[in-house]
Amino acid sequence: MANGLDRRNFLKLLGASAAAPVVGCASKPVETIIPYVVQPEEITPGVATYYATVCQECPAGCGMVVRTREGRAVKVEGNPSHPVNQGALCARGQASLQGLYNPDRIRQPLYRNEAGKLTPLSWPEAEAMLAERLQKIRAEGQADKITFLAGQLPDSVYRLATQWLEILGSSRLMTYEPFGFEALRQANQVCFQQASIPTYDLTKARFLIGLGADFLETWHSPTYYAKAFSQMRSTTAAGKFVQVESRMSLTGANADEWIAIKPGREAFFALGLAHLILPNSTVPAEEKARLSQLLEPYSPDRVASVTEVSAETSRRLAQDFVSHGPSLALGGGIAASSRQETASLIAVNLLNYIASNIGKTVHFYEIQERPQASSYATLLSLIDELRRGEIPLLLLANTNPAFSLPPSSGFAEALTRVPFVVSFSSFPDETTEQADLILPEHTPLESWGDSHPEAGVYGLMQPVMPPVFETQALGDTLLSVTTQVDEAFLESLPWKSFFEYLQASWKERHGESGEPGDFDTFWHHALQQGGVWQTKEPLPVQLSPAVFETSFSEPTFDRAGEDALTFIAYPSSRYYDGRGANKPWLQELPDPMTQAVWDSWLEIHPETAERLGIAEGDLLTITSPHGTIEASAYFYAGLRRDVVAMPIGLGHSGYGRYAQGRGSNPVHLLSTHPETAAGGFPWLSTTVRLARTGKRAPLATTDGSRQQLGRGIAQAVTAGQHDEQHHVDHSEHPARDMYPEVEYAEYRWGMSIDLSACLGCGACVTACYAENNIPVVGEDMVAQGREMSWLRIERYFEEPQEGANAPEVRFAPMLCQHCGNAPCEPVCPVYATYHNPEGLNAQIYNRCVGTRYCANNCSYKVRRFNWDEADWPAPLNLQLNPDVTVREPGVMEKCTFCVQRIQEGKDRAKDENRPVRDGEVTPACAQTCPTQALTFGNLQDPASRVSRHSHDPRGYKVFESLNTRPAITYLKKVRRNT
Amino acid sequence: MQFPIHSLSIFRIVLLVVVFLAGLSAVQYRPDVSGRVWQAGKAAWWDYQLLDLGLTGWGQAPKQPIAFSHALHAGEYGLDCLYCHSAARVSPVAHVPPVQTCMGCHARPTPNQEIKKIQTYWKNREPIPWIRVHALPAFTRFNHKRHVRAGVACQSCHGEVQRMQRVEQVSSLKMGWCVTCHDAHQASKDCLVCHY
Repeated sequence: MANGLDRRNFLKLLGASAAAPVVGCASKPVETIIPYVVQPEEITPGVATYYATVCQECPAGCGMVVRTREGRAVKVEGNPSHPVNQGALCARGQASLQGLYNPDRIRQPLYRNEAGKLTPLSWPEAEAMLAERLQKIRAEGQADKITFLAGQLPDSVYRLATQWLEILGSSRLMTYEPFGFEALRQANQVCFQQASIPTYDLTKARFLIGLGADFLETWHSPTYYAKAFSQMRSTTAAGKFVQVESRMSLTGANADEWIAIKPGREAFFALGLAHLILPNSTVPAEEKARLSQLLEPYSPDRVASVTEVSAETSRRLAQDFVSHGPSLALGGGIAASSRQETASLIAVNLLNYIASNIGKTVHFYEIQERPQASSYATLLSLIDELRRGEIPLLLLANTNPAFSLPPSSGFAEALTRVPFVVSFSSFPDETTEQADLILPEHTPLESWGDSHPEAGVYGLMQPVMPPVFETQALGDTLLSVTTQVDEAFLESLPWKSFFEYLQASWKERHGESGEPGDFDTFWHHALQQGGVWQTKEPLPVQLSPAVFETSFSEPTFDRAGEDALTFIAYPSSRYYDGRGANKPWLQELPDPMTQAVWDSWLEIHPETAERLGIAEGDLLTITSPHGTIEASAYFYAGLRRDVVAMPIGLGHSGYGRYAQGRGSNPVHLLSTHPETAAGGFPWLSTTVRLARTGKRAPLATTDGSRQQLGRGIAQAVTAGQHDEQHHVDHSEHPARDMYPEVEYAEYRWGMSIDLSACLGCGACVTACYAENNIPVVGEDMVAQGREMSWLRIERYFEEPQEGANAPEVRFAPMLCQHCGNAPCEPVCPVYATYHNPEGLNAQIYNRCVGTRYCANNCSYKVRRFNWDEADWPAPLNLQLNPDVTVREPGVMEKCTFCVQRIQEGKDRAKDENRPVRDGEVTPACAQTCPTQALTFGNLQDPASRVSRHSHDPRGYKVFESLNTRPAITYLKKVRRNT
Repeated sequence: MQFPIHSLSIFRIVLLVVVFLAGLSAVQYRPDVSGRVWQAGKAAWWDYQLLDLGLTGWGQAPKQPIAFSHALHAGEYGLDCLYCHSAARVSPVAHVPPVQTCMGCHARPTPNQEIKKIQTYWKNREPIPWIRVHALPAFTRFNHKRHVRAGVACQSCHGEVQRMQRVEQVSSLKMGWCVTCHDAHQASKDCLVCHY
């Protein structure tokens, strides 16, 4: 190179010459390495440590394993050894990390001063303030009126709170859950003298009828039932599932047959089936006679006139219900909770009883030691007491009645009559905003505790990291305050900390369990495993004579005028009762059915909308006899024409930056008049009138089209044709290439997605956000199609099958297909995306210059461009996975098949000098899937599960004709509509 | 391809001046190679151009809060690297030892000012804020465990630390440098091995 420079070095010099004058004075910022002072024994820097605990996002009590790195929680996953969720976790559980790291958490004790402003206090000051107040109330002889209103509490905390109140002289601990299922307990009490929630064994059911129960979303234990449901469907003799409801829920969308019933008339439908089945039933003759008398009025024709479901349908289902035993009927969803809910569930119980399902698919266990939630009706009487100023002190924990009760209940106003309100909430929710003293407790991931969700299941919670803020465990606060009120109380509550209290109660459990070994072994085993599990025998139950006194009548609705539409408020699978609304992952997770984010909407049947002159996206005023709210219209064909529906959970006036002012709260439209028999909240009790405001408020949705338009993305096959050859005829699309075949050596990573198993719940999407540091972009960016999700669930409505009254719904998870012949690769001008030797379509961020050619050329639209700087307001940034690069604005990103997990798996295998085993590497999406719809593995290994799936007759590739050769095989959905 | 630069004699002079200036400025220039280079005006793509030319980027030996001598510990006393940096064989990161490790030997009272500093940190339960010498960009993964277990000596990358009074970066830690070694040892050159 004597006579010149080569081009490359010339350009470098040119760059240097431009750079030199500019950066001559720059200096490298000093970066420090901060080691431990004393390194904890279980921590190796750079290696994850796992802790087992229990999820507290809903009462289901799923076990979790939390991955921590250098002392901060970075990811939660289902605990594989926990009997409830068996390794899976729903989207709400995945998002629990954003509760822990929520930037709007209350960071220290706060006191409302004379001017009404919240001012920070130290813990000793705050505790002294509460103790002083308690002393004063005791001196005034009003101690018996001290009231503790709680939501979901870990069992030991609940017991401690009860004892704490007792020694102060009060017995007023009330627990209130908006989704309380009071009617189900009451119905079981009436029918079987068991005021408990039984365990339904879906795995054994060969025919399942859901009467409004959304068991795949929020009903009791959704992950458990989703798992059981997929098992029920996976066998060759897969059971059929029929859902009967007025608005198609996600659960209904997964049914083989969806039947639209007149709202709130489930009881009559169940009685109609029972009436038809009874003659062939094996119940004792004497009972049969009485039942026959009870069911006599519910002939198919009368039932058809009440329910508006044809008598022929009833006859057909009754026939199937007995011939495909054991069968199962499930009732009691929140959306169907009318004022006759208890009667409705008694009818469902009778149906199960007559079909001999009790003891086969319905199992009752001994009533849990923990008292069940108080009913909504008792809360109403508490509000009365509050309003009369009879309560000197109200303590609130994990409950938000100011949001979950209608304003007409007067809760917020009654709260102002209480001289002193103490909240233990960690979040600035609507109720806590009214408190005089806030003593923020830890979030569940920072707490000790335990949970007893099912018979024989005792989950143990442990803190997975030190508290993020200056919060204190509720139990510790209670214990510490007791000693300050009166030293003598130490005798009754001798524990120094809640941890000691918890251990003491687990010592009792150890004694009862009869397990060999000392307590320490038992305790450590429980901590490691996430709890202890015992097998319990179901109780034999008999039909109680009380059932014959039940009267069944149609539910009452508060009329909003002539021609009003029945209003359905349904629980959101993302926000539950509204407690999930402050988590940005859940806000940005598209709703399974509408694919809308960050807002609420009113679902209306297109024909009804046309009649009322409403266009989609119109902002509507919705008026009931109890209130008025506004929401955007969304056309939804999975509805009866005489109902409209709206999700519960949004419309917060407080609760932090992510929840505040988003959407509207349907509870404002509801009546406060409780359910007749059990005193539950009347979710289905009102009708509404709609009016256009003249404004437009289109929703930000992530679906491009509601129809597949013949593209064959989500394919299906009818059962019966299942075994025939249904894979794509390859002669139609012969594989041809200019280039030689790519040869893979040891691994080619691939995935299979079983559309029959996928429920569309979105747990995988949230898991992907958590694992891969995917930024949340907000409503405006989503509206522009700039969401960053690497994995989405596409939802398509198909033309209704013959005879069906609603469209068939199909879900297809869509992620990078890691094509063998990827369209994105050859168009990259800088070689930032390429095919790696293990079949991964790699994206190298530091090479990417952001031309976006790859995204344009991607047939699956799975590549995302970073338009903006990602924002993780502190401390949300503490959640970031250190094993995944945080991308910068201006680069493309996409699914990597969780390459960091592949590397970790290969690393482990290399240590042991063996190849990676099948199932050893699982991406975050497949790991959390409740139905194991996603399978990941090595396609080079013919014995791997994914290889077998890729040769399944149901298997197909999306857009196979494009010759992209994806590494993902989809298995067609199996329809069972015969 | 050869650039016909010899035909442009004025251009050649300009070029020489530019090279001279770049060299001069690089003497005090320390680019930020620890990631997010495209951002916040900290540095730009020419950082890497300068690095490629071998003009700047390493050779730094920052003053540490404690004048810890690797020459004494690893050299004279012959302590194994992994005695203190024990995570290197089990973890992707080599880790700097906790203060407790120092105190294992240095707990006794001493007139040595530097050791007294350690004891003060220990007494106050404070970590020692070491200055990072070897920094990789945030988009690059390096697994110490794999290299240690493959028998790569620590010195191959970190230089003869056992002779350094103050630790100095002797390798560029640039991709070309990594790939050269990977090439020589038939190790993987797949981008995804390090970049994800």
